[in-house]
Amino acid sequence: MRDVWIAGADMTRVGRLDQPLQDLMAVAAHAALRDADRERPDAIVVTTMNPEEFLGDANFASNVATHMGFANVPVIRVETASSSGAAAFYAGFAQIAAGLARTVVVVGGEKMTHLPTPKVSELIGRSLDPYERSYGTTMPAFAALVTRALMAKRGVTEREIAQVAVKNHAHGARNPLAHFREEITLDMVLASRMVADPLRLYHCCPISDGAAAVVLTAERSTVRVAGVGQGTDSLGLRHRESLTSFRATQEAASAAFAMAGFGPERVDVAEIHDAFAPFEIVSLEDVGLFPVGKAGAATLDGETALDGRLPINTSGGLKARGHPLAATGLAQIVECVWQLTWRAPRRQVRCSVALAQSIGGPGTNNWVTILEAG
Amino acid sequence: MRWCPRHPIEMTPTSVMGGGEVVTFTTLLSPPAGFKSPLHIALVDLIGGARLVCHGDKTQGLRIGSWVAIEAVGNVYYFSHLGTLDRARLFWRRAGRAGERMSAIAQSLAKRAWKGRSRGET
Repeated sequence: MRDVWIAGADMTRVGRLDQPLQDLMAVAAHAALRDADRERPDAIVVTTMNPEEFLGDANFASNVATHMGFANVPVIRVETASSSGAAAFYAGFAQIAAGLARTVVVVGGEKMTHLPTPKVSELIGRSLDPYERSYGTTMPAFAALVTRALMAKRGVTEREIAQVAVKNHAHGARNPLAHFREEITLDMVLASRMVADPLRLYHCCPISDGAAAVVLTAERSTVRVAGVGQGTDSLGLRHRESLTSFRATQEAASAAFAMAGFGPERVDVAEIHDAFAPFEIVSLEDVGLFPVGKAGAATLDGETALDGRLPINTSGGLKARGHPLAATGLAQIVECVWQLTWRAPRRQVRCSVALAQSIGGPGTNNWVTILEAG
Repeated sequence: MRWCPRHPIEMTPTSVMGGGEVVTFTTLLSPPAGFKSPLHIALVDLIGGARLVCHGDKTQGLRIGSWVAIEAVGNVYYFSHLGTLDRARLFWRRAGRAGERMSAIAQSLAKRAWKGRSRGET
């Protein structure tokens, strides 16, 4: 297997954006190519979670490549629900590692804010098990079922969960591309309206538009891909062995660290999938960055803040940077690249190893990517 | 569902009791189109091993580990919380309206559970 390097990375602002999705993705991809000082890739990997239903567009790989001015470059589309960005990164990584291409652009994006919120919830909810969905289970309901178990079985407290949102908003306030740039307080989170008991509005990530891209290359560059791992699990919550951890994240982490040849102790900074605030606590433990049962208290103690022992979600995370579905996995990697190459002003931390973790659907297709400064 | 989610083995239907223990639950206050708020949802471990997602009238007083009866209304399964008093009535069959209600639930338990097979969810 050949070494794979990241030569360029960039993304659009995240939030309510007016441009068509194809434009947003082309802008991100061209910016990443400029960053990599490359004119033309050998191949393109495109990812959007659901352009068929959000936009009414299909054949989206060719659609985006044509829009970018690369109609004659080989292009494929990859999709694993909300972790699609990470899955697309893996597809590009595999092409270079196998020697099939020398330069690959991976670009992800989503556009959802033009639709009413109940419609967006329903479309995102289609990634859940059809039987469980027939009982009105949505992603927030799924997250609430997990959170209730987490609080009862693991002793995770409301304040620990709320602090995840407070911290990530504080980080987002320092990121000019973040959807939310206002700080919030613990009291604001605890007083926000209940969405799915025990989850409140400020525990949930927003509905966002945005696009992100990276350029992968076989030639030595500033950031090396040290490891990529995938983990999977059953669609239905009722078939899970555990509700207080995601098996798919644990498998992904163990595969990624095995490829990297080192363990979680070398990770200096991480982007974690906090679509719902309690998921950050579960994921930190699933990845092995904190011992089981310790991540909540560590969050409350400030260990995961910018000036803490292990800064988590320096971008603001899904909570504050925003969650444009298929862009998210790549936006996490863009933040890791910026941190590793000292290009994260106002939120820069000392680091040589960065990790990104992404959850697909109700934890059915999860990814861990480990990057190392070259 | 025809095959076991973790092994490509065809499943065979079985009957279980229409009652069990709450694994987790929530009250959804922003339910999707077609459902009324508040929407009470529970994941229940049925006596006999299967788990299912069902609706309920309320989650007040409900805890993880609470015992609930499961009843089918049409094609939809509902849980009802069995408090200490309810359980006492269920077992001792005391007179009174509440007691009658609970014994009716008890009679329907095994019968209703059969319907789980026809939906392929047990």
